[in-house]
Amino acid sequence: MKKRLLSLLLASTMVLSLAACNKSDEGGQGTANAGGDAATELVDGKFAETRTITVEVYDRGNDGGSDPTNNMYTKYIHDQMLDKYNVEVEFVKVPRWTEVDEINNLLAGQTAPDVCVTYSYATIQTYADMGGVLDLSSYVEDYKDVLPNLWNWLGETNIYWDKDPETGSIWALEARLANQNRICTFIRKDWLEALNLEEPTTKEEFYNVLCQFRDNADKLLGGEADKMVPYSVSYDVGWRAATLIESFMDPAITEKEYYVNGFDDRKITEAGAKDAIKLLNQWYNEGLMWDDFAVYGSGDTTEDDMMKAGYVGAFTHNWDYPYRNGEDSIEANLKRLVGEDASYVAIDPFEDSNGTHTKWIAGPIDRKIFFPVTNDEPLASLLYLDFISSPETIQYLQIGDEGVTHTVADNGAIQIQAATGDAIQNSGMNIDYTITCNGLHLVDPEITELSLAYSYAGVDPDLILKANEIAKTDTRELGNVQVGAIESEAGFGEALSSKRDQVYDKALSASTADFDKVWDEGMQDYLASGGQTIIDERLAAWEKTYGDAENLPEK
Amino acid sequence: MEKSSAKKETSVVTKKKLSKNYFKRYWQLYALLAIPMVYFLVFKYVPMVYIQIAFKKYMLNTSVWKMPLAKNNGMQYFIQAFSNPEFMRALRNTIVLNLLDLCIGFPIPIIFALILNELVFKRFKKVVQTIAYMPHFLSWVIIYGIAIQLFAPSTGLINLAIMKMGGEAVPFLNDGNHWVWTYIFLGVWQSFGWNSIVYLAAIAGINSELYEAASVDGAGRFSKMWHITLPGIKPTIVILLIMAIGNILGSSFDRPFALQNNLVMDQAQVLSTYVYQYGIKGLQFSLTTAVGLFQSVVGVFFLLMANWLSRKLGERGIW
Repeated sequence: MKKRLLSLLLASTMVLSLAACNKSDEGGQGTANAGGDAATELVDGKFAETRTITVEVYDRGNDGGSDPTNNMYTKYIHDQMLDKYNVEVEFVKVPRWTEVDEINNLLAGQTAPDVCVTYSYATIQTYADMGGVLDLSSYVEDYKDVLPNLWNWLGETNIYWDKDPETGSIWALEARLANQNRICTFIRKDWLEALNLEEPTTKEEFYNVLCQFRDNADKLLGGEADKMVPYSVSYDVGWRAATLIESFMDPAITEKEYYVNGFDDRKITEAGAKDAIKLLNQWYNEGLMWDDFAVYGSGDTTEDDMMKAGYVGAFTHNWDYPYRNGEDSIEANLKRLVGEDASYVAIDPFEDSNGTHTKWIAGPIDRKIFFPVTNDEPLASLLYLDFISSPETIQYLQIGDEGVTHTVADNGAIQIQAATGDAIQNSGMNIDYTITCNGLHLVDPEITELSLAYSYAGVDPDLILKANEIAKTDTRELGNVQVGAIESEAGFGEALSSKRDQVYDKALSASTADFDKVWDEGMQDYLASGGQTIIDERLAAWEKTYGDAENLPEK
Repeated sequence: MEKSSAKKETSVVTKKKLSKNYFKRYWQLYALLAIPMVYFLVFKYVPMVYIQIAFKKYMLNTSVWKMPLAKNNGMQYFIQAFSNPEFMRALRNTIVLNLLDLCIGFPIPIIFALILNELVFKRFKKVVQTIAYMPHFLSWVIIYGIAIQLFAPSTGLINLAIMKMGGEAVPFLNDGNHWVWTYIFLGVWQSFGWNSIVYLAAIAGINSELYEAASVDGAGRFSKMWHITLPGIKPTIVILLIMAIGNILGSSFDRPFALQNNLVMDQAQVLSTYVYQYGIKGLQFSLTTAVGLFQSVVGVFFLLMANWLSRKLGERGIW
């Protein structure tokens, strides 16, 4: 009896697994057909039969936000797409702060949306190596005629950005960064005034201000003095102290060196990172920083809450961070909880060895858009990208309806106002829907300029102008290094990023005596875990493509 | 079905009749059994087909049978794993944390069950029991939330209390060695109540006449506990111990994942989180299948060892 049952079980296992395999075979063959002729599929620019595509959208989980898959803007997109191309658009939400994990899971489960978006090119490359991503090179060429807006907006620069120099494949289209501002340091203006201090312009002055904050905690925070954090970073030190780290790099660094050590966008392998963290370590041990920064992980709002409650003296973040999110912005909360005078103002205190304030920006690229092989509507998906790249669509998604989400000032500037219900933008200027565009981009460029300062509901335009000016001071960007895929990078992005955070966090919070040991051991571990292999391969790839050149050829 | 009945024609007729009657009588039971069988088939056995990707270069859109063999005769990923310092660290941490769990976490539910059994006041016993169970139903994410409120280096309740009394903050969560004990403590706290249930059930099954006889012979509470209760639940203890030993390389995912942070990763990286980080997030499915396979093989080995040992020592094994 027992034996028979067992054999029955084994037999059915075999049958089932074979069936499963056959099924995945079919999937493999179904993806082989490359770009066809748009004219044969479209009648008067429209599909004859309704096509359905799914599109990824970030879910930011904002308090009191609108449903990211069903609101005024998704309805607009949906109706326009149906009307224009007879394409039915469905949105699939993916949590913003764990997007890479989530997209990985969806791709692995072959349930990823037809149009996927991520900030991590490494993820796309890895999946492309496994045959999981559509090569867009032939599609964008063949369908060029029906994609005027996409070509206009992204241009050859962004469309060909990720083109492999050898195979010519394009796994992803790079969204365009309309505003390349990256990062700023902010300080409590009211605290400076209360203590009669000037805005710091050098590291030395910044340090002195932090000490003043610490020493006057009683005056500034009263009964809550023990909650004072003069300068705050999160577990992601490389990002949250980016301008400080960059100020320790050699301003004359060559593009070659920057690229070779540049796998990690938090610059841990660039020369200078250690000195920067050493300074932060000193500050940490002098009680100038947040003790508990490392125990709160990604997406945790504790630090933001501390800023909102008014405990944080200064911090470094996205160039407009305290002003984002309208009523829920750090600035708005601060004013509500602490008082009308309380405010964060942008400063530029980290000078480099030239006395300039070099800020590395990331080129005109932003998110990466790709189609998984499970996408069997490449044309409809590209038409979607074309639609979302048209100036009118971008403008509508960014500013919405007059009277509902914005008002027009006398000088023509668009003023964003706090919206309610369905019209709430979950992300600043609806960046989550304008996936080919990051940054305000209205049909009229002059109005764009004017409106930028007014695009933050309830925030003094002068604050924005100042942050904008600082973010644009002494910027430098690495050109497009096209040396093909670096094989050793595949699969290691996530693990190395996490390792990097560990090195940064441990070194920052080490005791002063242990700092060198902790940093050196950490770096050794980082390099041994794959970092060195990547550096070596990048060096070889650079030399193979550009020879002895220290910088990219002029275009 | 036809085949088996054809074979049966050669067997004795009465036997055939007997088994037919048997099935007729008990088919409902077999139908019920079919549900878990299907579950195991679909979720445990069919996925095993994919074990072979440990030896193959994983391709997303090809059948698992057609994927090319990995380098070094398919051993590429095993070599890669064992030469990766992170893997060795995860392996070490898994063993250390599981051993500590075994040494500390295993006896506590037994002791708790013994103590609970001695309580005379029934209602008090019930209350204690319920309170002890409760944490079992909390997710580890929530437990970490509680832990951070209690143990955070400068804002945690306990550290605040210590500092108010003039002491120094204890780095419960941000120093590797302290973290290990926090991890073990939280694990014990979360599960000892729940794990004691099975022992309480075993205790309830002990013949009460034994206790009466012992009382007549003048045995005290402690000697009854030692000579009757403990031997009475010994088989249960042994079986659970064997299973725990078999699990020495296995580890739950949510507990270490929720509790770890960047400062303690040298101690907190275990195999399950390593597999998640490199395999799921790093998309190295072959590498992590290799790790998983290694984990299972070692686990089975330990299980067999423990089972063999317990039978050697005169106890009933699992089988």
